[in-house]
Amino acid sequence: MTKVFVSAVIDAPIAKVWAKMRDFNGLPDWHPRFSRSHIEDGLRSDTIGCIRNFDIVGGAGTIRERLLTLSDAEYTMTYCILDAPLPVEGYVATLKLYPITVGDQTLGTWSAEFKVVSGREEDVVDAVANGTFGKAFEVMNELLGRAR
Amino acid sequence: MAKVYRSAVIAAPAKTVWDYVRDFNALPKWHPAIATSEIEAGSPADRVGCVRRFTRRSDGGLLREQLLALSDAERTFTYSILVSPMPVANYTATMRFTPITKGNLTLAEWWAEFDVTQGPDADTVSDIGDNVFVAGFAALNTHFSKK
Repeated sequence: MTKVFVSAVIDAPIAKVWAKMRDFNGLPDWHPRFSRSHIEDGLRSDTIGCIRNFDIVGGAGTIRERLLTLSDAEYTMTYCILDAPLPVEGYVATLKLYPITVGDQTLGTWSAEFKVVSGREEDVVDAVANGTFGKAFEVMNELLGRAR
Repeated sequence: MAKVYRSAVIAAPAKTVWDYVRDFNALPKWHPAIATSEIEAGSPADRVGCVRRFTRRSDGGLLREQLLALSDAERTFTYSILVSPMPVANYTATMRFTPITKGNLTLAEWWAEFDVTQGPDADTVSDIGDNVFVAGFAALNTHFSKK
């Protein structure tokens, strides 16, 4: 089992960050690595069990992920990959935000566990940890951070 | 039930911070409000159920607190107050330390739930939140900035 954990301070209040990140259908609205997304079967994006179907930019393929947990109380969502152009099995990821009361900022944490079934493990880890999770927090700081 | 939650970024890696604060007998070492501490009955400080007996620097006030949970995996501990000069009852608190991978820092969180037995809830909540919890975070940052 491979584990990835990435976390970063976002210089914005947690309510703002969560409002942006909680939409399970909203990745292409702000994450530069992804384009086009829809929720399958006409479900709402906050329905537990719904499936998002979205593209990696540049024609690198389509990903389908199922929403397993969504908590506005805990600022957390958990989902698993159903289909992806990534050599992984058993992929489950959790996004969780923490309020930083001193300074009214947010800690974003994003973790995943999966099995790499082919190719180099470090390439897969890099794509997930830096290309997806770390990039997301960078973008949140660009979009919402006070210093920008 | 009153609740208080405070959190802050500590400018040191989570392992470093946790190694420093996980000792349930170490309050005088890192918290500016605490003068002395001992673990009762000669118990190790990491035995769940042990009781720390410590005094406040301001007035010598005595507190006794019992360790309810300690996790090196989650970098968290939980304790309850048995005796305290503060107007609280049924007090349970938790500290948790989460790694911030970008910059190799730590998020420190400290929260408590309790009943206020005298005076307005808000006074005790802000006293504990700011004078105990946030003051503790500030002391940790001062300590690690000197290293």
